[in-house]
Amino acid sequence: MTQDARKKGWYRRLFAVRGMGQIITVFFGLIALCIAFYLANPNFLSQRNVANLLRQIAPYLIIGIGQGYVLITGNIDLSIGSVIGMSTMISATMMTRGMDPWMVSLITLLPCLSIGLLNGFLVATCKLPPFIGTLGTMTIARGVAQLVNGNMNTDAIGTASETWRNFFYYGKSLGVYNTFWLALVIWFCFNYLLSRTRTGRHIYAVGSNVEASKLSGVNVAKTIRSAYLVSAFCAGVVGLITCAQAGMGSMDAGTGYELYAVAASVIGGISTLGGQGILLGEIVGASVWGAMYNGLSIMGAPVAWRNIVVGIIVVLSVLTDVVFRSGALNRARIRAAFGKKISTP
Amino acid sequence: MKKLIALSLLLVMVVGSFAAVAEEYTIYLITMDLMDQHWVNVDAGCKAAVEEFAAKGVTVNYKWDAPTQGKNDAAQIESINNAFANNAQAILLASNGPDTQVATIQQYQKEGVKFIYVDSPANTEALQTLATDNTAAGNTAGLEMLKKLTADGVTEGKIGIVNVNAATTSTQHRETGFRAAFEGTKFEILETQYGEGQVAPSQTIAENFITQGVVGIFGCNEGSTTGTGNAIKEAKSAVVGVGFDKSDAILQLVFDGALLCTMAQNPYVMGYQGMLSAVSILQGGEIVGDKNYDTGVTVVDKAFIETNNLLAK
Repeated sequence: MTQDARKKGWYRRLFAVRGMGQIITVFFGLIALCIAFYLANPNFLSQRNVANLLRQIAPYLIIGIGQGYVLITGNIDLSIGSVIGMSTMISATMMTRGMDPWMVSLITLLPCLSIGLLNGFLVATCKLPPFIGTLGTMTIARGVAQLVNGNMNTDAIGTASETWRNFFYYGKSLGVYNTFWLALVIWFCFNYLLSRTRTGRHIYAVGSNVEASKLSGVNVAKTIRSAYLVSAFCAGVVGLITCAQAGMGSMDAGTGYELYAVAASVIGGISTLGGQGILLGEIVGASVWGAMYNGLSIMGAPVAWRNIVVGIIVVLSVLTDVVFRSGALNRARIRAAFGKKISTP
Repeated sequence: MKKLIALSLLLVMVVGSFAAVAEEYTIYLITMDLMDQHWVNVDAGCKAAVEEFAAKGVTVNYKWDAPTQGKNDAAQIESINNAFANNAQAILLASNGPDTQVATIQQYQKEGVKFIYVDSPANTEALQTLATDNTAAGNTAGLEMLKKLTADGVTEGKIGIVNVNAATTSTQHRETGFRAAFEGTKFEILETQYGEGQVAPSQTIAENFITQGVVGIFGCNEGSTTGTGNAIKEAKSAVVGVGFDKSDAILQLVFDGALLCTMAQNPYVMGYQGMLSAVSILQGGEIVGDKNYDTGVTVVDKAFIETNNLLAK
């Protein structure tokens, strides 16, 4: 095989990975975005802001992973933001009562995982539409967040939690905030689970074709529950990060985050129709989302324009996914439209 | 020829020396949101000071930032992070809550960033705090309502409070001051309801209070006040409404009689004086004015609006 043929083979193998096309496209979009922000304000790529930006991307990456798992199964999780709020309030309330922060972190994840189990039960077992099922748990989790400290935000969690806060938010390792390293570790773990295990293959199978999966012997209900458990775990971790960041619990923490999670997933090539997308896309999607907010803030863009720009980019990402999936841009149609013969490689 | 060259060199040196000492500072204003008229007025005060400094040859790279989706602790922390990443030398901060921003503020104070509080301080030391004494102002609001109710012969009944949320220090202090005005009276103050400072939810809360038969409603900030006034106007109710902050909408509601009066803060003064202090500190000087600078309130009723032509366009 010639060197050219080997290079072409490598190139084709890369694009043959499901979802890689959009990831690479969005990656170049991210580069263009960064260049544009740098030209508007060189501080965008300063060491200080890059560290800042990586920390800001981390929560979007983590919740994007959770939402990504659920989207790949063909469902959605609207309870993410409320679970973040619940996690923040439960952890902060326990810490203000003098409990050890590390023990609190483990205990806090239990109610979060319970919401995940409930979501899985409602969607997979009771066959509720995921939008409705998780809308219900969204309000339940938010109610729990309000109940935990008697419908009040908590006091400060105190100086005893300083090491814990540094671990989740304020501390740095090798010049990068720990929040980002935490997000990376979570990404590696769940990427391995999705791409190298039977559970991961079942998740794709269920998202691609539920009936075929059932006939193939896949336990569909268990698979969907697993996806919701991952989502709830990720939301719980981001709740701990939020608690560490603020040093207290706010009942409205995490509001709107479920949509940020969808945006990060969709921008990164995970289809809302199910069965498609890889977690590498989450890194790109979360980076685009974080870079947009950071860059527009650094530029001093008016708030109206920030919201408009962000909305346009999300819509374009979803549109790209829908158009490509529908085959509207396949070769036959392009040939018919332009009357040209397109050579095959 | 030699003299000409010497003169040219001297001229270049003089001009160069002016360029070398040209002052330039990066100062941020970070508020609770970017929409409330109150913060727009703080920004206006900052901009006015920046223009004055520019005329004196001092360049201030001024930026105003805040959470884009309304009051949000995590988002405000990110605004502070972004300001630091953009090399802010001083930050005028209206803290969302007393404790949430403390760790971030302390971290950047260690890096040399100067902090001045405007409107709402956090529970950590800063160079200066420019704010309304919210407890005293809330008490004034309560006394105004009590005076009107007494004049109307109403000596007992229920009173509603429309507040922002349980975490915003400034509005909590206003509520505390307002409640203190009714201590020892026969009036019953109902459980506070929270509208997040937004007009629509605040209006719904006020409508519910009116349905419950309250005799007075207190709105703790601009959005709460506007919502309260709208509800009273729509119901054509005799409920006595008293508010906080000033905007065209609130002034119109006071003028139309839907609200008795509003406590107008001086956000422009907060921004203007805050910027003066920030530049003074960065120039190596002292803050301008007292460390705890009370920017005060004015009771704005219909007579005040007419006398001062506040609604003239």
